[in-house]
Amino acid sequence: MSETKQNPRKDTTQPLQTTSGESEEKLRSEWTEYEFDGRTKLAVEDLDVYYGDDHALKSVSMDIPEQSVTALIGPSGCGKSTFLRCLNRMNDRINSARVDGSVAFDGKEIYQDGVDLVELRKRVGMVFQSPNPFPKSIRANISYGPRKHGDIDTSLLAKVFGRSDEDAEERLVERSLRQAALWEEVSDRLDDNALGLSGGQQQRLCIARALATDPEVLLMDEPASALDPIATAKIEELIHDLAEDYTVVIVTHNMQQAARISDQTAVFLTGGELAEYGDTDQVFEDPQSQRVDDYISGKFG
Amino acid sequence: MAGATRTRLVREDTSGADAVAALAVGVASVLFGLGLAAMFEVVGLTGTLAGVPTLPLLGGLLLVQGVAVVVFGVGSRFGAVETNPRPDAGIVAAVAFTLIWLVVGGLVASQVLGLGLAGWLLGAILTGAAGFAATVLPREDVGSTLPAGVVTALVGLVFLSGYIAPTSVWDLGWEQKASLTAEFMVPVVTVFCALLTGWAAAKAYGGFGARGRRVGAYLLVYLNAAAIVGVLFALVAFTVFKGVPGLFRGLTFGPGVGPESTVALFGASVTFSWPVYLPFAMNGVGLLNDLNGVLPAIVGTFWLVVGAVLFAVPLGVGAAIFLTEYAERGRFTQVVEVATNGLWSTPSIVFGLFGFAFLIPRFGNGKSLLAGMLTLGFMLLPLVVITSREAMLSVPDEYRDASAALGVTKWQTIRSVVLPAALPGVVTGTILGVGRIAGETAPILLTMAGGVFVPGSQTADVIGGFQFTAAPPFVSNPELLQATSALPYQLYALITAGVGASGNVGNPDQFRWATALILLLVVLSFYAVGIVTRYYFRRKLDYE
Repeated sequence: MSETKQNPRKDTTQPLQTTSGESEEKLRSEWTEYEFDGRTKLAVEDLDVYYGDDHALKSVSMDIPEQSVTALIGPSGCGKSTFLRCLNRMNDRINSARVDGSVAFDGKEIYQDGVDLVELRKRVGMVFQSPNPFPKSIRANISYGPRKHGDIDTSLLAKVFGRSDEDAEERLVERSLRQAALWEEVSDRLDDNALGLSGGQQQRLCIARALATDPEVLLMDEPASALDPIATAKIEELIHDLAEDYTVVIVTHNMQQAARISDQTAVFLTGGELAEYGDTDQVFEDPQSQRVDDYISGKFG
Repeated sequence: MAGATRTRLVREDTSGADAVAALAVGVASVLFGLGLAAMFEVVGLTGTLAGVPTLPLLGGLLLVQGVAVVVFGVGSRFGAVETNPRPDAGIVAAVAFTLIWLVVGGLVASQVLGLGLAGWLLGAILTGAAGFAATVLPREDVGSTLPAGVVTALVGLVFLSGYIAPTSVWDLGWEQKASLTAEFMVPVVTVFCALLTGWAAAKAYGGFGARGRRVGAYLLVYLNAAAIVGVLFALVAFTVFKGVPGLFRGLTFGPGVGPESTVALFGASVTFSWPVYLPFAMNGVGLLNDLNGVLPAIVGTFWLVVGAVLFAVPLGVGAAIFLTEYAERGRFTQVVEVATNGLWSTPSIVFGLFGFAFLIPRFGNGKSLLAGMLTLGFMLLPLVVITSREAMLSVPDEYRDASAALGVTKWQTIRSVVLPAALPGVVTGTILGVGRIAGETAPILLTMAGGVFVPGSQTADVIGGFQFTAAPPFVSNPELLQATSALPYQLYALITAGVGASGNVGNPDQFRWATALILLLVVLSFYAVGIVTRYYFRRKLDYE
């Protein structure tokens, strides 16, 4: 299965350990014209995705700069969620999906043999469209990732041998919940089941859960689409704050939302093409392509 | 939507007609209950009820009920009662009434008029056609009340007239000497007529039309549910009433009256006497016993179920994990699915034969507790696989996605997210399976059970039986390799052992019922453990 997902060119064009700015520079100049401030966090080149015979994403190339918010917009079925799921290889979980092309994370190709998916997904966290906390306590939801990675150990044996990390767990839970602007609301009921929270709180809990593994990139798939306007406003404010430390890539249906919170905007159009990618102000005020102009002004899609 | 039917938006007050219909529904329910009670001989047909002989009482009630329903229907037809009927009563009612009237006509022609084959066939067809016509041709209010009410009134008349005596027997004249007794037929016919007129009365109460049909269906569904609960309750109550005298025979309380038990732990041992003596549950069958009991069978059943569960649950859950989480959906999983479903419906005697032919030669060539445990474990396995698989498939994929997106491996996801969420389902499946295997007789007969009347010395002491030995395999447990009894087998043996053996157990009838009651209690206590476990796991998953 993994064979089909390999791009045969990878080993030659992108050595695993390449971190020098040189090759990065070269690659970027090759496939995008858009120039931005800051270092490239994720470099995508000629990415094609097929679901069976369906060509869902057609030769997409874009660089995503670090510590900024990149919005992906476009009509339903245009491949923006597919694109997002390529960035942490979640598409591997879909049997019929085949990915062709290159995604480099900090200059390292993630579609090649020997990539540690655990490590990749620790660094590239993800928040889903509908809030999906585990049916566990709030505390257990937050510490789930680090616990499974072995970063936090509060098991019975750890307690017996006196190496239990309960303090670390408390600090982690508080830090993550504060980052997700949820601490004030739930600090007194960390042991309650997370399913008892409201939808907006659950979504922020999912963000906190993703932040707890200390990622560098946060992928968000329409995180506010299932939420009411007040919860949406909170999530948007949160995304804005998160961009100071993290690289945020967000898929949204809501163009106003994209305009409000993002630094860069990528517009996908039906058929899985990346129609335009650039500075948010520029994309919304002076789009280069007529189709994008039509889409943004509401004539289509 | 001009021409759409309009009914009262608000039913302001209960009219007299409504009250009559409601009363008819009430009488139908009473008749239904009385019929069931007579069927289970709670109410005797020969006796009296509230000072009135039972059979005429039933007849009178049926007559009144039938007439009331017909009067209501006809009154509605001629505008005396405000209803909203459809043009006809519908094809289902028509078919049902045709069949009923076929039977009525045939019976009258052959039994009352004494006509031959051709005669009663003609009569049956004529009345059947009349029933069909009476249902389909008039408006719904007459169509659904008249055929039902007339049948019921007729039956009431027959009961009242004394044409059928409470002790009547209708010999069918077949080779097999089959006969129908009034004792059985009267309750059945009463229940049937009660359902029929109850349905008609409920429709009338709802004013026919859509609302009437809903009320009619509602009544049938509720009476049905009540009957099922009632039958289950009667079954349990019957066993309890019959079993209690034998079970509590010789029950004494007081310090030191019970048998002595020795608890040994790390070399130190404490011997104490139970402060309660329940001979039936604390003795085996022995010549010197004051009262005999079934302790070996109780203990045998307990260990049997524990062993089977310990064997089947880990294997079954493991297989389910592989099938749902690892195996690609395809031919292989389909084959496994069909095979597990087939295994679950395989007759238990086949499992028993497998144990007899395969396991017994490998475990000391004699019937043994271990062979029984494994055989029943094999029986339990498919159900555990099926229900665990269902439970795991119903765990939302979102949990798996969320876990994968956090960089958690598949196995860790299964252990910490999928399994906890699936556990209530696994426990439910295991409970169901335990209910079945605990009552299984055939495999025990072939693989495990020894004597019919088991002395107390044959009580399996599985925990105490473990011994450490110097040679491999270093642990031995002769108790596991001994034949022992189990409750269903004991019950079977007691019933088939016949009169000659009755001297061993005093009152054999009491003894059997007490054994049945104990079996019921043992299975129910396994149920209780399962339900508490499931509740515990669910509590952890749900928020309050």
